[in-house]
Amino acid sequence: MTTANERLIKILSGMKADRPACICPGGMMNMVTKALQDVCGVYLPEAHTDARMMADLAKAIYDNECFENYGVPFCMTVEAEALGASCTMGTQYFEPHVTGYAIDTVEDYGKLKPMDLNAGRAKVTLDAIRLLRAETKDVPIIGNIVGPVSVASSVCEPTRYYKQLRQKRELAHEYMQFVTDDLIRFALAMVDAGADVIALSDPSGTGEILGPKFFDEYAVTYINQVVDAVKETGAKTIVHICGQMKSVYDKVAKIHSDAFSFDAVVSLREAKKNLPDKVIMGNVSTFAIEMQEEKTVDKLTRASYANGSDIISPACGLGMGSPLNNVQQVLKTVKTFAE
Amino acid sequence: MATKEELLQKMSDMVFEMEDEEIADVCEEYIEEGYDALDGILHGLVDGMNRASEMYDQEEYFVTDLLLCSDAMYAGLDVLRPHLPEDASVGEAKKAVIGVVEGDTHDIGKNLVKIMMETAGFEMFDLGRDVPLDSFVEKAKEVDADLIMMSTLMTTTMPGMKEVINKLKEQGIRDSIKVMVGGSPISQKYAEDIGADGYSRNAVEAVEVAKRLCGVE
Repeated sequence: MTTANERLIKILSGMKADRPACICPGGMMNMVTKALQDVCGVYLPEAHTDARMMADLAKAIYDNECFENYGVPFCMTVEAEALGASCTMGTQYFEPHVTGYAIDTVEDYGKLKPMDLNAGRAKVTLDAIRLLRAETKDVPIIGNIVGPVSVASSVCEPTRYYKQLRQKRELAHEYMQFVTDDLIRFALAMVDAGADVIALSDPSGTGEILGPKFFDEYAVTYINQVVDAVKETGAKTIVHICGQMKSVYDKVAKIHSDAFSFDAVVSLREAKKNLPDKVIMGNVSTFAIEMQEEKTVDKLTRASYANGSDIISPACGLGMGSPLNNVQQVLKTVKTFAE
Repeated sequence: MATKEELLQKMSDMVFEMEDEEIADVCEEYIEEGYDALDGILHGLVDGMNRASEMYDQEEYFVTDLLLCSDAMYAGLDVLRPHLPEDASVGEAKKAVIGVVEGDTHDIGKNLVKIMMETAGFEMFDLGRDVPLDSFVEKAKEVDADLIMMSTLMTTTMPGMKEVINKLKEQGIRDSIKVMVGGSPISQKYAEDIGADGYSRNAVEAVEVAKRLCGVE
């Protein structure tokens, strides 16, 4: 029998598996819900800062038949906080988020200190991966990295930052390189700790925000640096692209990741056509998972499969209020696709 | 000596082309020539911003472009505004409360909507980001707002929008105020499901929807 890990790695290697994998990586693609916290008795926000709890909550997602992977962390603030941004850890319902920037202008990036991977939540995340590696087998462990533009715009005040991408290009590139070098260090440490796959999403670096030219110049360039470094270790990579794709398909095609994951607004059929040789992941509406009934989730899961999704997953992070039975329905339906 | 039309065109072009440094000089020259400040705002600066919006609609301009255009517009406004007659800005402006809902701090989209709304003549009350849900209701009551605009980039914080609508109902003021929602995970369907009055995909469309809801022209 194919294990969950074998299946995912096979698919990410471009080979055919017995059926699509069904995963939700974590990070921006949140898979923790209030209902799941109640079932396993491990709660946010505490699990954001405690490796044992983080690993246990990640395990609960697989054990309760939500998704066929483990994934940490459960937010998009670990890197930004380690680089000096102030964050709140949120609640059972709210994810951690940035409350204060470390710098107000890209010109000050020299004041930033590189991330300390042996302290704070970077260490918690790496320790959680080590625990998962030591205590489990056959289930893929996914380490989540926040994309370079999103980290850069969480550390530096974003309105200024976006403008400086155009007005101070040389300096902006220096800053992006500084951030990316740190992300690479963090990603490689995750692989070293035992992650099988690195997933990256860059919601603040979309084609809609930057336009095709700057999406290419900044997002694609620096995402590829992270992806290339991870691939060199033999670990697999998934890049989630937020937002509408029309203006940037040809640019996205330049990203080297093993798989692409898309937002609910993207037609997978169209994505397949535009990215013919790529492994495609997606994109069951998280809105439907939170607000609709199981039969709608079932229908949407079937539609994703029919449209050519190789890895079935939610289209974005799950809402914390999503009912457990709806979340579980995605995997239930995917299991019926077995040949 | 430049004619009024030449200067207006220059101001519009400078906003459109994101030149935020020389625009103040051109506005100074416009005022020194004795031309009308309100015309300068509407037919110069705002005209440039509207042209930028059109390019945004056609996907030739993107969010970062609009932010730079608005910098130029505000640089010009700083010069022209003090020359408005005292009662010119007050009057019939519709009032809108805007903010990013609690749990989220992504405010680029919200800022852009605010800019476009101001360009269109709305009086904006910006609550910022990570806004406690009660604050939307309190501020709307305080300023007697015509419209509440909420945004979020995160799926996890979407339910807060529905809660604000419920709070308006509890307070008995739901019918006297319009509610608009936006942000990348939001859809027309979601807006309808939570009982919002309007949704828009982007900042340019937001102005059209807001005008329609508030019965402006």
